[in-house]
Amino acid sequence: MTTIDTTKPTPGAETPPVDNYLTHSSGIMSWLGTLDHKRIGVMYLVSILTAFFLGGMFAMLVRLELMFPGEQILSQDQYNMAFTLHGVIMVFLVIIPSVPASLGNFVLPIMLGAKDVAFPRLNLFSYYLWVTGAVLAVSTVFFGGVDTGWTLYVPYSTTGTEMNGILLLTFAVFVLGFSSIFTGINFIVTIHRLRPPGMTWFRMPLFLWAIYATGILQVMATPVIGITVALLAVERLFGIGIFDPALGGDPVLFQHFFWFYSHPAVYIMILPGMGIISELISVHSHKHIFGYKFIAFSSVAIAIFSFIVWGHHMFLSGQSPLMNVVFSAITFSVAIPSAVKVFNWLATLYKGSISFNTPMLYALSFLVLFTISGLTGLHLGTLATDIHLHDTYFVVAHFHYTMMGGALIAMIGGIHHWWPKITGRMYSEFLGRTACGLIFVGFNLTFFTQFMLGSKGMPRRYHDYDGPNWTPEATELFGTYHFWSSIGSFVMAAGFFLIAFYLLHSLFRGKKAPANPWGGRSLEWQCASPPPHDNFSEPPHVGDPYDFTVLEWDEQEQGYHWRHDLKHEPGEA
Amino acid sequence: MSLLSPIFSLLAQTGRTDGGFWFPESASTVAPDVDFAFDFITWISIFFFVLIVGVMLWFMFKYRRRGHVPSMESPTHNTPLEITWTAIPMILVVLIFYIGLKGYVNITTPPENAYEIEAVGQQWFWSFNYPNGATDINILHVPVGRPVKINLRANDVIHSLWIPAFRVKMDAVPGRRTELWFEATREGEFALYCAEYCGTQHSQMVGKVIVYNQFEFEAKIDELANWLDKVPDENLHRAGVILYNRCTSCHTVDGSPLIGPSFQETHKLFKSGGTRKLADGSAVTVNEDYLRNSIRKPSDQIAANAQGAAYPSSMTPNIADQLGTRGVEAMIQMIMRLDELVDDDGKLIEVKMADIVVEAEEPQ
Repeated sequence: MTTIDTTKPTPGAETPPVDNYLTHSSGIMSWLGTLDHKRIGVMYLVSILTAFFLGGMFAMLVRLELMFPGEQILSQDQYNMAFTLHGVIMVFLVIIPSVPASLGNFVLPIMLGAKDVAFPRLNLFSYYLWVTGAVLAVSTVFFGGVDTGWTLYVPYSTTGTEMNGILLLTFAVFVLGFSSIFTGINFIVTIHRLRPPGMTWFRMPLFLWAIYATGILQVMATPVIGITVALLAVERLFGIGIFDPALGGDPVLFQHFFWFYSHPAVYIMILPGMGIISELISVHSHKHIFGYKFIAFSSVAIAIFSFIVWGHHMFLSGQSPLMNVVFSAITFSVAIPSAVKVFNWLATLYKGSISFNTPMLYALSFLVLFTISGLTGLHLGTLATDIHLHDTYFVVAHFHYTMMGGALIAMIGGIHHWWPKITGRMYSEFLGRTACGLIFVGFNLTFFTQFMLGSKGMPRRYHDYDGPNWTPEATELFGTYHFWSSIGSFVMAAGFFLIAFYLLHSLFRGKKAPANPWGGRSLEWQCASPPPHDNFSEPPHVGDPYDFTVLEWDEQEQGYHWRHDLKHEPGEA
Repeated sequence: MSLLSPIFSLLAQTGRTDGGFWFPESASTVAPDVDFAFDFITWISIFFFVLIVGVMLWFMFKYRRRGHVPSMESPTHNTPLEITWTAIPMILVVLIFYIGLKGYVNITTPPENAYEIEAVGQQWFWSFNYPNGATDINILHVPVGRPVKINLRANDVIHSLWIPAFRVKMDAVPGRRTELWFEATREGEFALYCAEYCGTQHSQMVGKVIVYNQFEFEAKIDELANWLDKVPDENLHRAGVILYNRCTSCHTVDGSPLIGPSFQETHKLFKSGGTRKLADGSAVTVNEDYLRNSIRKPSDQIAANAQGAAYPSSMTPNIADQLGTRGVEAMIQMIMRLDELVDDDGKLIEVKMADIVVEAEEPQ
């Protein structure tokens, strides 16, 4: 097989080079103006986690308000703004950019064996676009606030509410869209053009396949949301009828445009998470991934199918029943590649050497939660049952299992997996496992109750479940579920604060991380932790990214390195 | 499916009306089909969940890491296996799709002879209009055992009519006409919600369905159509208290302003012959004509709030049509004589339709 160099020992096994990307240059400007993908990735990570904290606080406000019947801490208008900002922040600022922009930026070029992404300046520019969009989106609170929900449905968003906030928010979404598009273009080109000799398509780790499929979605779908919000702004500013029936427009058209982006966006959110899970499960059980090509192609299949299922968000919008039938049928076709991935991950565990390190616990949590999210998707894709479940807490529970139990849990697992590489420090395994347990229990308590809440009859986006028109029975029933859901959210919050604590602690007190603490075979584990400025001081061994037989444990180093008896590139396992 | 349904009804709540673990009580002809589809999918889901998580836990235990030994040899792919586990879910989802499709065709195809009621969604209440001219707010009166088709309209933003016990829901979209139908299977009262987020008081856009037998139903809508005509003029202000449920979203009677001025404030101005400041800077004397004009043309004379800014002129323009001529007069009377209609705590007294209606003499 072609390889770059077969005789030199693994670079990571040597004394780590003194110079790394963190110490390469210093001063605030060396960060703010950096073109190093690793530093940009770290800046993204810090920014996105800050946004996550903010979005989480809005979620806590919502849960506190709903914990008991009657008005608790928020008025109706404040509540509507709180859930809107929770959604906007979590979707546009956190989950859409989360994995590609932060972990993807850091890991992708190294995994590929490249020095950097294809367009480092574009990369930095897209970061500042994100910052601009984030500031604009959050600043809506100072301009009357936005209370439309993150979906911005017309005509409420064009006629029913304060104008300044909406215009600001649409502009923010527009800017954030470009940030996402630029990241996508950058990664697609990087994967096409910067693969070093020996790195063939099928030697790429599955994380890269996932990021690649995501990039295609980002580039093809995101312009639609940009155009949609631009049209929304034009209608609001100039009164040109596009969506508003009073001006001759059609509100359902907006929903088509919106979901034509936002459904693929669901896969922009979950595909990178699936990529992480493929790495985590394989590396932490030291087992070759099962069905590499099936997983790789299912990512691409999901990306393609995701463009033609948007109508399943609109079964009750008044679109024709025939369209509903077609969209329902296509929706089920998306279930297949997702199911295949789950079976492949399970089969990877078979005869593995399964560790229960923190990243692996997140990967196993993901398997449970993602299975629930996928299966409850069947209830919603089925026409007869969706009519009852549409716009209820059942939907809320389902997409939180997907977005949080799937995308976000995968991201947190990924952060723990690559934390030693990014920071050069190990965190407390005990606290890591404890936090994962808290989040898993808290998450299920919060969101599983919401399945019953929805199917029992609680509509979503309700400020209260008590009032002159409510029956005492309904108030009591919904109150029980809401109470336990809120308790679960507190448990989850405790888990997240614990993570923040021990990760920050590890920066100062953590043990020095070896080059390869988990026994990963992909290229990022062959450079030092943290990586040097140019990623590799020695050309890495390119090969099958899941052939773990070439590694052995080094007790002294507390990490894995290339087997001493292997002088030559082992080729394909 | 009929072969399978007895098996599933043993396992689940199909056929029950109290709803069981997952559902609210059921009271329509389509509800058992929906519940069956839901249960069918749920049991498939439980089977796969137990299978996947069970296998995962078993592997986690059996193949847990013991020291730093490499993992065992096993194949990295197996095409027949992978095709099998692609094909089985594919067959199952085709089956699920078919069940969902069958139920959907029933739910969306109203019978020819359905009784038609118009439902209008506006911020933040439902109004239901009957063929005989009867109308009611937030309460949908329907007969048992007869298909009912609801024609949906929206006056301002998108709303969605949901009756959980009937398992039916449909959006009401401005500029479009949509419909839903159901046939109630038993008498009783069931909750009704707006399911599409529609602004500030979305969570109070809640009402109920009352299912009557055919005889009671006809009597009820007859009463709703004609009761105002049977209220003598001296009782008309008390009829306003019954109609007031259309106004509660925006107008209080205790002096606190919501989206519109409180009726108490308006009443006091009327009593004292005072003038009201308008948003355009002018002032208007609060008299009967002003009240009538404000109901008939809500955006004509927009009042200024305490800060001098305009109250939002979002009162439904067709409120006068909904109330009818006599209903408008009743509201005017109510505002003018509000002091007679509140108790010592400032709360509205309770008024029953039967107390104020005077039945005409039976024609000889």
